[in-house]
Amino acid sequence: MNFTFMIIKRLGSLVVTLVVMSVVIFLLVEIMPGDVAEMILGQSATPESLEALREERGLNDPVFTRYLRWAGGLLQGDLGESIYMRGVPINTLLWRRVGHSMLLALTAFIIFVPLSIFLGIVAGVKAKKTADSIISFLGLATMALPEFVSGVFLISIFAVQLRIFPIISVIPIGESVFSNLDILILPALSITFVMFGYVSRMQRSSMIQVMNSDYIRAAMLKGMPRRYVILRHALKNAMLPTITIIGMNMGWLFGGLIVVETLFAYPGMGSLLMTAIRTRDVPLIEACVLLITVVFAVSTLITDVMYGFLNPRIRFQGDVQ
Amino acid sequence: MNSSILTIENLNVYFDVFGGSVSAVRGLNLTLDHNESIGIIGESGCGKSTLSYTIMRYLAPNSRVTGKVMFREDNLLEKTEQEILAFRGNRIAMVYQNPYSSLNPALTIGFQLDEVTRFHQKASKEKAREKSIQALTSLNMGDPEGLVKRYPHQISGGMQQRVCIAMALLCQPDLMILDEPTTALDVTTEAVILDLIRDLKDKYAMSLMYISHDIGVINKVADRIVVMYSGEIVESGPNEELFAHPHHPYTRALINCIPREGLVKENFRLNTIPGYVKQRGTDEGGCPFAERCSMKVAGCIERYGMREVGEKHAAACDRAYAADVADSFAKLKVSRSKQHADHTKPILEVQDLYKHFGKKRKIYAVNGVSVGVERGTVLGIVGESGCGKTTMGQTAVGLYTPSKGRILFNDTDISVSWKKRSPEMLKQIQFIFQNPGRSLNPSHTVEQIISRPLKKLMGISSREERKTRIIKMLEQVGLSEEYLSKKSSHLSGGEQQRVAIARAFCLSPGLIICDEPTSALDVSVQSSVLNLLGDLQAETLAAYVFISHDLHVINYISDYIMVMYLGRVCEYGTREEVMQPPFHPYTEALLSSVPEIDPSQKKRKIRLGGQLPDPAKKIRGCPFAGRCHMQIGTICETQPPPLVKFSDTHSLSCHLDFPDAVREPAGEATG
Repeated sequence: MNFTFMIIKRLGSLVVTLVVMSVVIFLLVEIMPGDVAEMILGQSATPESLEALREERGLNDPVFTRYLRWAGGLLQGDLGESIYMRGVPINTLLWRRVGHSMLLALTAFIIFVPLSIFLGIVAGVKAKKTADSIISFLGLATMALPEFVSGVFLISIFAVQLRIFPIISVIPIGESVFSNLDILILPALSITFVMFGYVSRMQRSSMIQVMNSDYIRAAMLKGMPRRYVILRHALKNAMLPTITIIGMNMGWLFGGLIVVETLFAYPGMGSLLMTAIRTRDVPLIEACVLLITVVFAVSTLITDVMYGFLNPRIRFQGDVQ
Repeated sequence: MNSSILTIENLNVYFDVFGGSVSAVRGLNLTLDHNESIGIIGESGCGKSTLSYTIMRYLAPNSRVTGKVMFREDNLLEKTEQEILAFRGNRIAMVYQNPYSSLNPALTIGFQLDEVTRFHQKASKEKAREKSIQALTSLNMGDPEGLVKRYPHQISGGMQQRVCIAMALLCQPDLMILDEPTTALDVTTEAVILDLIRDLKDKYAMSLMYISHDIGVINKVADRIVVMYSGEIVESGPNEELFAHPHHPYTRALINCIPREGLVKENFRLNTIPGYVKQRGTDEGGCPFAERCSMKVAGCIERYGMREVGEKHAAACDRAYAADVADSFAKLKVSRSKQHADHTKPILEVQDLYKHFGKKRKIYAVNGVSVGVERGTVLGIVGESGCGKTTMGQTAVGLYTPSKGRILFNDTDISVSWKKRSPEMLKQIQFIFQNPGRSLNPSHTVEQIISRPLKKLMGISSREERKTRIIKMLEQVGLSEEYLSKKSSHLSGGEQQRVAIARAFCLSPGLIICDEPTSALDVSVQSSVLNLLGDLQAETLAAYVFISHDLHVINYISDYIMVMYLGRVCEYGTREEVMQPPFHPYTEALLSSVPEIDPSQKKRKIRLGGQLPDPAKKIRGCPFAGRCHMQIGTICETQPPPLVKFSDTHSLSCHLDFPDAVREPAGEATG
């Protein structure tokens, strides 16, 4: 079995995962208390008007039919309409927010991934020396702080005292996020605070393990300079566990930013989902959660591909003689 | 002109540890001449590897080194980190014990070879690749162009070690240090690699420093043997001289630990060395071996010190054959009777056993093995790794269920998983594994380990009663009551294996499957475990299935021997019948590959090329055909070999014409 075939197989299982997840999401929202028709009509509803609306929207159809209708819509790119916002198509609502969230996730990613990997490597190579102690302390300290605490810290230092960055990350009406890129920095930093500890510690311990391995000793005793051995021999192997950790957190980074986005009032997916849950906007909840699932699944796939790229034992599985 | 390559003068290596410092190498003097080859032997913990890493200047930061290591005119100990790079891998190269873990799994073999010349000779990429391919070719590796593009996990262990040797050769070093390079390999592969090393030494006029715990291996490559104990050289001399007339009691004891031709359990106990190698603090002096020595006298303290005892032969002690002590080796001659063996009915009967793994890509692990084990006897199973011996053993205990065929224990069919076996049956068949450190739960105490089967299988519910039994059992395996509360992770390898043996024997089993029980142990510990297994067997009359790749060990302990190849039986018979001609060609090749500890013994050289065939292929003819030195023609590849019987017990499967043998037609006979 070669690597390309493995990827194709994984893509297949990705589709299966998404189908199963769409069913689960649909059913979960289904058993949530509350009735869509009542939500729409609110206080003024009469039993007759409720019944008429249910009939019109097909809410009386069997679960299976409704699921198929919803899933069919999804396949054609139709995510349905928001209830709370009176029939605004979710498509117009969601994608802008998705764009914002991706931009924030990307900014955070660009900051924390190289930073934590680099410092993790330094800590691993200099294990038990001063540099390692400082980095490890920083990692543990930032890991212990929840993002709303570190976020408040960042705001009070950089926004209130130094006045470098805006206090809240709202986008003025009529402007795009691209003309306000400075609003991304503080939320991205507070995400970095959460991720840095995990990633750098993982990188540190795998670096220590690799540096103690027989093949690193062999490379050193071939007369290679230490720096070269670290970069060419150790790094590729020591990155493997870190990539898994980063990949596993990508989904969270994208969809789970509720706290950070709320804290900074940033208009992303997380705060949209928050609103949707608060207002019991069923189609919007479904769309958001499904999208987060997709991101999770895709980032796991990317992780595995990266893993195979770095690890020939995965790439050439099966043709071991 | 000074022809010595390496001169070590008064070398001391200390490691600072919590609460003081220990000395790993002390007062060591050693000279290695141009194109000379020395072998360094000793138990683990004797400082052999520390010595080699000191020469390479690759020691942990908590080490301190004093003395001189002169490599030609350079004192390596005075070089800076930058300067030493020019020696490592260039003038002094090293080959390690485990080739698989010494090659970087994420880089291609070509890349790892190329970088050596790219750094040391500033070769261009193309030039470096050319040299790498040349080096691989000079080691008789087929398809070097294809090989350089592959990753280490894609080639076999023997090939990996050849890649490591090629890597060491790239800059044509003056000195090559080999640290147990064949310990992880099969004997047949080992023999090929040792020949290769010997040839390369002369071809490139290198000096060799060969570290091993196995005197047999050292004999094949070294001109001179250096015996190390606790960081000191205690004896050094030419092979034959050292073997024939050891002067130091440690040398003598070490040689006598090793099973060899002519030593069998009925008439000989193996020598053991009581105690273990102790780490010594920097302030301790005197003879390091005194504590374990059976020949020490009051004058030992003053007399200790290296001195000439013969031509090129020096020793720190000459009491190995001292006249004033009783010869403690005499008591090793014993006679254990085997009259209690019951030859009438086998306790374990394997009938036409097959075991296949996998669905799509089938691995044919065991292919039609029939064998019986008689009550109170030992059946030894030998073969290279991958020949199905472990699978056989594990199928008998019920860890696997057979794909086809039956296993009978005292006429009861036990061809099922252990989960479906009765407690009585589970009690009757016990298992001792290769690596006690990994098969005993490290956080359990000895009492917990042995008491669990007593409770579950023997139904002894009273803790006091279990405890009494455990203490009795511990005494039988040479451990005392104080071990009860020790955790298995705090025990040495030998003690762990004793606990594993006690655990197996406390159930008074009828059959014990021993899967390489001594191969992870030092030779001195191996001999004590083999003695113990021999004693317990004579006492309890249990039958053993003893699986090992070491023919000397098998020869020592077994009554019957079965030689396996690729899941089939090649030869079966009593020990004497198998170890003497007529041989199956594979048995003959195995025997000729075994390194002899007596350097004066010369034997016929048969070297097996290639490796085991792919176990996923179905084989029509003789599985050994492709590698056989006696192959007679295409018949070997196309027809399964017939079973050739020499006596009631001795049979082998081969197309060769043996006189005075009864041939049975091939068919359902084991192929």
